[in-house]
Amino acid sequence: MAETTQMFSAPLTFNWTLSYRCNFTCDHCYSRDEQCPELAIDDVKRIVDILVEQQVPFINFGGGEPLIRKDLFEIAEYASKRGLNVSMNTNGWLLDEAAAQRLKDVGFKSVGISIDSAEAALHDAFRNMPGSYEKAVRGLDALHKVGLKSTMSSVISRINYRAFRELLDLARGHGVGQVYLHNFKCSGRGFKNREDLDLAPDEWQAFYLEALSVKHQTNDLKISFDDPVIASLPEYQEKTIVKGSSCGKLSLHLRPNGDITPCGFIPVVVGNILKEDFETIWFDSPVLKAMRAKEATGKCSGCGAFDDCQGGCTARAFATTGDFNQPDPHCWK
Amino acid sequence: MNKPLRNPEIVWRVEKRRQAEVLKALEEGNDVDDSGTVILLQSGMMHQLNLVGGLIWQQCDGQQSLADIAGELAKEFSVEQAEVEADVAEFVADLAERGWLING
Repeated sequence: MAETTQMFSAPLTFNWTLSYRCNFTCDHCYSRDEQCPELAIDDVKRIVDILVEQQVPFINFGGGEPLIRKDLFEIAEYASKRGLNVSMNTNGWLLDEAAAQRLKDVGFKSVGISIDSAEAALHDAFRNMPGSYEKAVRGLDALHKVGLKSTMSSVISRINYRAFRELLDLARGHGVGQVYLHNFKCSGRGFKNREDLDLAPDEWQAFYLEALSVKHQTNDLKISFDDPVIASLPEYQEKTIVKGSSCGKLSLHLRPNGDITPCGFIPVVVGNILKEDFETIWFDSPVLKAMRAKEATGKCSGCGAFDDCQGGCTARAFATTGDFNQPDPHCWK
Repeated sequence: MNKPLRNPEIVWRVEKRRQAEVLKALEEGNDVDDSGTVILLQSGMMHQLNLVGGLIWQQCDGQQSLADIAGELAKEFSVEQAEVEADVAEFVADLAERGWLING
């Protein structure tokens, strides 16, 4: 067995936005106001070929709403037949039983549905779409019925941080095996609505302490967090593959035109996968290099947690200050 | 376990660039035991195998016996097969106990 973790030969995951089009206008959405030309399916398949050649094992379709794109099934089938592990995140509006069966048939390994509140009215208001809660839950049931693994994604914000246990119960009741309690990002509409939605640093700390306590007492459901700032808590015991943000180290994001950004929440293009050599982008991009070697600045300087959290979420620091190296504004230290 | 097979639930890949660096370091006489060249991903966790472990792992296709694998390894490192047989058996047993290898 080996112990050391160094630079990876390629990302483990590509988060892939095939389209920014969406049938919802959620209050926190990072991409609702984005516009970008979409690739034809032949070019999309060329990208799949590049990812296979680079031995990227996982792709996750996000958006925009992936099911808006009619050729999603053909794209996913091509990718899964070429050996990629395919998943996606959807709002569930278009996910009836027939669609769930098709997703399973074309090789999806799992499908995540976003649900922000166990109260239908609150979820619908946040998503600005009456009936969206009912359809999201119907989507979970459809996935369960056809035997396709489902996950539930909930972006933690002011509307739900006190009621996350109800979200876990909702997941339990609909055959979900894993719940992602995502950290709130300050990008796109999330930045515009930050005052209304984001928690204060001490509220984040209290939330994570409580959620970690629940996680440690929970055996029937996998509870996952993706917030690097949580690593500064002694109560957080998980061994992560890399320290700090995973974007640029384990994962990258593809925009609908093939442009690569470190993650969906950092609108800095580091290259185009169809126009440039991928390995040159991955190994030599100055932006990616800077994200992998963050420097402690401000209150991170001299902080004992920096080795573990690496300054927290790089996207959030960049969105609020324009500098990757600034401390995560969620940090309570 | 005579013909070990990689658990199909595990996603894995050879870290090509890192493997090349490790081979170079080995040629230069450096200790590379702790340097991962193959990564295994299971349920959100990553594990790494070093050069020797990675080579054994790649041979575990359910077709080759422990003796076959030891033979390949001996050829790769220019040593007698008998010198590596016990190590191969021990490594395979360890991975089988973790559920990473199954009977082929």
